[in-house]
Amino acid sequence: MKFEILYMAFEALISNKLRTFLSMLGVIIGVSTVIVVVGIGSGAQKKVDDQYKNLNVTTILAMGNRGKDSSSSSKISEEDVAYVLENASFVATGAAIVEGSLSVAYGSTSSSLPAIGTDPGYLDIANLELSAGRSFTEDELTGKAKVAIIGYSSLETFWGDETTDPESVLGEYLTVANKKVEIIGVLEENGTSSSMLNYDGSIFVPFTTAEKTLLGSNARLMLNFLAKDAESVSVAMVEIEALLRKNHKLKDGKENDFRLMDAGSMVESASATATTMAILLTSVATIVLIVSGIGIMNVMFVTVSERTKEIGIIKAVGGEQKDILSQFLLEAVILSGIGGIIGVVIGETIIPFLNSLEDWYVVASVTGVAIAFSFSALVGIFFGFYPALQASRLDPVDALRGE
Amino acid sequence: MPKDLLIKLEGVKKSYFLANGEEIPVLKGIDLEVKKGEFVALMGESGGGKSTLLNIIGCLHPLSAGKYFLEGRDIGVLRDDSALAFIRNKKMGFVFQSFNLLSRLSALKNVSLPAVYAGITKKEREAKAEKLLAGVNLGDRILHKPTELSGGQQQRVAIARALMNDPEIILADEPTGALDSQSGEEIMKIFCDFKKRNKTVIMVTHTPSAAKYADRIIFLRDGKVISHDYKLNSTK
Ligand SMILES: Nc1ncnc2c1ncn2[C@@H]1O[C@H](COP(=O)(O)OP(=O)(O)OP(=O)(O)O)[C@@H](O)[C@H]1O
Ligand SMILES: [Mg+2]
Repeated sequence: MKFEILYMAFEALISNKLRTFLSMLGVIIGVSTVIVVVGIGSGAQKKVDDQYKNLNVTTILAMGNRGKDSSSSSKISEEDVAYVLENASFVATGAAIVEGSLSVAYGSTSSSLPAIGTDPGYLDIANLELSAGRSFTEDELTGKAKVAIIGYSSLETFWGDETTDPESVLGEYLTVANKKVEIIGVLEENGTSSSMLNYDGSIFVPFTTAEKTLLGSNARLMLNFLAKDAESVSVAMVEIEALLRKNHKLKDGKENDFRLMDAGSMVESASATATTMAILLTSVATIVLIVSGIGIMNVMFVTVSERTKEIGIIKAVGGEQKDILSQFLLEAVILSGIGGIIGVVIGETIIPFLNSLEDWYVVASVTGVAIAFSFSALVGIFFGFYPALQASRLDPVDALRGE
Repeated sequence: MPKDLLIKLEGVKKSYFLANGEEIPVLKGIDLEVKKGEFVALMGESGGGKSTLLNIIGCLHPLSAGKYFLEGRDIGVLRDDSALAFIRNKKMGFVFQSFNLLSRLSALKNVSLPAVYAGITKKEREAKAEKLLAGVNLGDRILHKPTELSGGQQQRVAIARALMNDPEIILADEPTGALDSQSGEEIMKIFCDFKKRNKTVIMVTHTPSAAKYADRIIFLRDGKVISHDYKLNSTK
């Protein structure tokens, strides 16, 4: 008996192809959109998390003001680091780095990479580990030696494969700004890829080499401090600001000739952006759900009188209310189940496609599938089953009239 | 109660209620008896309540007052869905003026439908449906959909469906109303064959050419029975 009713349900779906297709389409569009939209939302959040996952929250950066008048007048210098470290009590350590962009070539491959000129202490501050080779020596630092440490993704950039054994590239020579530079170390994957600190894609050279030989006037100086601990970041910021003003001999009422940033607030503002985006996407998903729900509702309501008549006929030949309800419930479940599965398949197919586009980062999430599936179940059962429930309560005569 | 008395109505009343609560009395106290094996025609003015009465007999809607005995059992008080469904399924076979076939199903599937709800296996019911369709001269049309059949053919499918579960009674509401006279006559012949097997037919009709096949005519007027045994000349 149960099987018979399942069969009736299938038969009804198959013989009303257009109605089945249209209402399934509603479920498919709803489900796949929700999956993609939720994927975009979690992608954005994950991107933020990934970007900053290795960023030490005690990091405080100081850099010269950018802009028309300030760049020339910016007084930020390496000596500031020593001054701050000497006088501050909430700053653990610090280093100066120069930043810029360099054209780097190996064999026939060339690429423009962010370059960081630094002293050996910086690797500790930035939480960077070597997977092969060594850091700079004091001699190399003073001697402006042409040596470099390359980031993790350079393996892929120049050797075509990020699984290249890092040991094997030690001693190779890169052409950096038309000068031969020897590779002495390779960094482990760091994962930090914010626009400000793209360690994986960078090339590291001794501070002096970067400033004098390679970058020249393109160099941008940046001071990198670590506060004693996460709690002292804000006091350390106050200290650093006051000490830099003092060292730069800025009079009261004069604006800072530098900018200070702490890692924590960078992460916070990026998270906030991701949250805003998530709210926006949720609204979009809600609208899509409502619209596709209305679409399904329309299809169902257009056929409701035909279906009511069908229920009248079934009652007249002796079908019980529970048989009728089982049939219509099964129909709704099959319809939204199949629609839901197709929707999930389409959604999961769109996600890798979107990821293959530049600047898209979408993460397939279980939450997305769960939300999408419960939606399709709800919509399918409500719009497929509710009218049938109403009709099955009518006297057979009234149902036969088709309302 | 005599043994061959199939249906007995006592003071049956039925009112409809409009959306504004207004009561429309349609049947105003019907007393009626139908014996097993009888072929009865229900006639009367349009709007007189013939369909309403037939639908009460067929348990397609409930009566408002009075008593309804089927095979001696008071079923006018029944409101339970599965009990009523059982009676419609096993005891009654309906034939409507507008056929009421499921347009998406083949003739064979339409005819088998009552057996689905009687819990009969697919093989068994389709074999029987085929036989019944052959019996109404549609043996070569079993896989046709209703839209691929003429009106007379559709009505014969509907009759085959009504016969599917071997009912006691066929209830027909203007079964020939939408058909030409030749198709109408074929339908009447099937009803007469059914009656010959000691089964009962109650048929609402407007046409004397159909009514003349009946053993007697019950005449309704303004919600009341004005005659129980009008008779037409069935030889002409
Ligand atoms: N659902 C309903 N709601 C309100 N009034 C109704 C309803 N169904 C029928 N009626 C009224 O009940 C009366 C009897 O209707 P019924 O269909 O039984 O008449 P009938 O004798 O079969 O007429 P016809 O020969 O035209 O088919 C009519 O006046 C009709 O308007
Ligand atoms: Mg009528």
